[in-house]
Amino acid sequence: MRALIAAATGLAVALALVLTITAMGSPAGKTSPKPLLTTVPSHP
Amino acid sequence: MRRKASLILLALAVFFAALSPLMRWYAFPRLAKIPADQYQDMVLEAKDATLLDYGTMKAKKVDKVTIVQTLKGNVEASEKIEKTAGRDVVVWDGLSYVQGPDGKMVSKFPERYIFDAHTQEPVHATGEMVDGNPVKREGIEFKWPFLTEKRDYEYFDAQARITAPIHYEGERDFRGVNVYYFEQTIPWTKVPFPKIMPVEGITPESVAKTGTTRWYTTVRRFWVEPTTGAPVYGEEIHKEELRGGTLLGGREKVTAFAGHVKMREDYIRSTVDLVKSQRLLVLLMTSYLPWGFLILGAGLLSLSLYLEARSRRPGDPTPTETREPEPVSA
Repeated sequence: MRALIAAATGLAVALALVLTITAMGSPAGKTSPKPLLTTVPSHP
Repeated sequence: MRRKASLILLALAVFFAALSPLMRWYAFPRLAKIPADQYQDMVLEAKDATLLDYGTMKAKKVDKVTIVQTLKGNVEASEKIEKTAGRDVVVWDGLSYVQGPDGKMVSKFPERYIFDAHTQEPVHATGEMVDGNPVKREGIEFKWPFLTEKRDYEYFDAQARITAPIHYEGERDFRGVNVYYFEQTIPWTKVPFPKIMPVEGITPESVAKTGTTRWYTTVRRFWVEPTTGAPVYGEEIHKEELRGGTLLGGREKVTAFAGHVKMREDYIRSTVDLVKSQRLLVLLMTSYLPWGFLILGAGLLSLSLYLEARSRRPGDPTPTETREPEPVSA
């Protein structure tokens, strides 16, 4: 019984961790202020 | 004590074993995406190209034609579309700026490409356009999906505004990176004149009145790193002709542009470096971490079982009860 509880705890923590990380996602950021280029850049 | 440790190890073993498939098949498809704020520029060159001189309306050989391509993620536009689309969307405002050997503008070709941040499938929304004209793209453009497959894809050609297959032609090694090689041929197709013409006073409408039409063909080649779906190199054998009408002075056709367009060397190097670093991140989520977690889970489970077995071993000395000495009566 105690082994079952330990396994269930491990599974629950793994699920909670993955769901939290995916729900948080990543920030969208901001549109770059750099223009669409009409000159040839000298380097990348 | 041993039993307690084996239970903790069991919980950890299940935690890591469960994390392995969750990471690969749940987290990865949701976390791997093109950032909405990406900004990228690229320089391509066509050396010894043929270019039309609009002054004389004759084709001439030139040393070099340069194409500067910029892709800029429009975060505000993507957030607006996401509200109705209900998924992560990327809006790329792009410009292909073509410059002749004298530094003057040859053409300027704006685009807005809207696509799913995870799958790279096109998303149709107001504002999707090529050279100011609304389009409804099918297929991919610029980038392949993460974990690219060994198969043909549908690729959108912005010049012709058509979608055609881009064929998978096999695996290659490109500067130490294992890549999939794709090739697409667009046969001679009548295409609209660009909205902005290289000579002031000439507009697409004024050219159309002369009866002259613009035709285009290209062979498009991409070397795609399959884990990220990012092309590490691309080139085009691009030809454009003006045909018929009074503009050509009785000639049947004249070459407007012909050249083998290739990425500039410094941009190849920077693209390869960028793709290599991104590849590592994708591999971490699709391979290294899931396998690592699985192996760790198996190891912890073995250790847990070992400790459990030792705690139950019958040969182990069992704690003896100490009895109080009974009082002896004389």
